[in-house]
Amino acid sequence: MLSVLSPVSGTAVGLSEVPDPVFAQGMVGPGTAILPRNGRQEAVAPIAGRVAKLHAHAFVVVGEGGRGVLVHLGIDTVKLNGEGFERLVDEGADVEAGQPLIRWDPAEVAAKGMATVVPVVALDAGHDVISRAVAGEVEKGSQLFQWA
Amino acid sequence: MADKAAAIVAGLGGADNIKEIEACITRLRTEVADPGKVDEAALKATGAHGVLVSGNVVQVVVGPEADTLTDDINDLLD
Repeated sequence: MLSVLSPVSGTAVGLSEVPDPVFAQGMVGPGTAILPRNGRQEAVAPIAGRVAKLHAHAFVVVGEGGRGVLVHLGIDTVKLNGEGFERLVDEGADVEAGQPLIRWDPAEVAAKGMATVVPVVALDAGHDVISRAVAGEVEKGSQLFQWA
Repeated sequence: MADKAAAIVAGLGGADNIKEIEACITRLRTEVADPGKVDEAALKATGAHGVLVSGNVVQVVVGPEADTLTDDINDLLD
């Protein structure tokens, strides 16, 4: 059982609330999404492992057994070209669960007219392997869901 | 992987139909000249999780290999 931690503090709302069909329909995998609190903050690694992908606005950490967790900071934020996002590690780095990876401010994303919601996705996992997903308030670094 | 890139180029209506392509962590975002030439079934047959067509913008959801696939596709387009 892999414990997936929340990368941000906020309110867990579920993937269906994400205004993007790829995430909302679970095309890349099941998971949940968090409406982050505003303010400059650090998004943290949801699991221990290797940072397989690191964009300014999104990352994938691959842990034991090749299981990858995708965290996407806001929707369509690729269009910001990294502005307002600060990478705190390099792609390929080995990280601990809860380690800060990207510094950002959801309020800046909202000011550009984009959704700030943060999908957290168990990549390519079956929809029945996610359990104990938190709903409502969640603190970063606390358990968000379990991946069987 | 290169075969997959070729299959995606074909599914998007061929190299001449692709005006722009970029990767966004789990998906290829492409702008095509003629969306009518896009073959969604062929794209899904390459293993894509989904295909979204909105006007001239086609998004192919391929998973986290999007970056490497985009590099392969750009190699084909050059």
